[in-house]
Amino acid sequence: PCRAQPKKKKKVDVKKEQAQKERMKKKIKKLEKAAPELIPIEDFITPLKYSESNRVRSLPALSPEESERRVLLLKKWCLFKQKQDEAEKKAIRALVESQQEALKELRLESEELYQAAIKRDERLFPFERDGPSYTPPLPGYDAPEGKCVDITKVYTQ
Amino acid sequence: SAAARRPWRLFGAMCLLRLPRITQPLEKEEEEMAALMEQIELEKSHYSDHEIRKLEEEEQLKRRKESLYDEDEASGKTVIMAQDLEEKWEQKFLRFKAAPRITDADKSNDRKSLNRKLDSNLMLLVKQKIGNQELWLLPQVEWQPGETLRNTAERAMATFLGDHIQAKILGNAPYGIYKYKFPRAIRTEDNVGAKVFFFKAFLQSSDLSQTKLKADHLWVTKKELGDYLKSEYLKKVNRFLLD
Repeated sequence: PCRAQPKKKKKVDVKKEQAQKERMKKKIKKLEKAAPELIPIEDFITPLKYSESNRVRSLPALSPEESERRVLLLKKWCLFKQKQDEAEKKAIRALVESQQEALKELRLESEELYQAAIKRDERLFPFERDGPSYTPPLPGYDAPEGKCVDITKVYTQ
Repeated sequence: SAAARRPWRLFGAMCLLRLPRITQPLEKEEEEMAALMEQIELEKSHYSDHEIRKLEEEEQLKRRKESLYDEDEASGKTVIMAQDLEEKWEQKFLRFKAAPRITDADKSNDRKSLNRKLDSNLMLLVKQKIGNQELWLLPQVEWQPGETLRNTAERAMATFLGDHIQAKILGNAPYGIYKYKFPRAIRTEDNVGAKVFFFKAFLQSSDLSQTKLKADHLWVTKKELGDYLKSEYLKKVNRFLLD
């Protein structure tokens, strides 16, 4: 009597466990088959607290002189930028012409020097350069220390 | 080298540029446009947390002044107001003194210094003896067989500035050429004139105190080149210099 019952329990348990495992596996497969959720881009979702009405600025309306001035300024800007762009393109064209002329003369001189000159320079790229700032660096300046804690949320699919 | 030896002597010259360290001043249109853009951005924006805090505190102050029995509300609450914070930040900013954009070298017009004209490119000019004349030129040396022209230009730089100079040369190809014929007295069948090939490089190391310059040298901007270079030479050099 003591031996028979435990045996039955074990068998039944084993079967139940196996059935449970299979059910779990089927559920997992179903979940995996469903399309992966898209990772939300935090920059495109404005938090709701910024669309409350008390946040809207109250400023006086634009006078017609002001809007006239703005339109004229935009037109002047358009012309300024066009001239700037043309000047840049002209400078680049002059640069390229000058280089082509130099290479032509070099070819007349010696073919081997010419071939060496038109070879690709492997050491040129990657080219790094720090851009200019508004004021030059202050010699001997001790920048205040601080710790930067990164709180960006990382999503996994 | 199998063909007949050409009568031109070859030189490699290096145009070494020190890149600008500060931004150029804005043009009038750029300033007006920047002001307009700021105004439009302000108009289209909403209040930030800091501004809402400021408005609420102003309201509180007004209410406190109008009704005189508000002492219980005011007692345990905010001691620091947003306005005070702003004033504190303003004070801290005023205490910081940035380096001046116009340096001492600018004021004294010391053309040998690299600290001048921080918002434009500076080029190296050296005084060299060509024939029997001492001329201001971009550093150049004669090409020797067995080296490429880029090596010649590097050698020119090393001759005048020493070996420890760090410069990024922009490619193997020359940027410009200046050719001239020797004066009739020296000209022969085999030696008609010279061709000077210009290469461009950016100066990487900002500290040149280690180098001992062997000849007279100057660092000048593109506009000042006219003071030193001859007109034909200047024309060719200006073609490959972007300002």
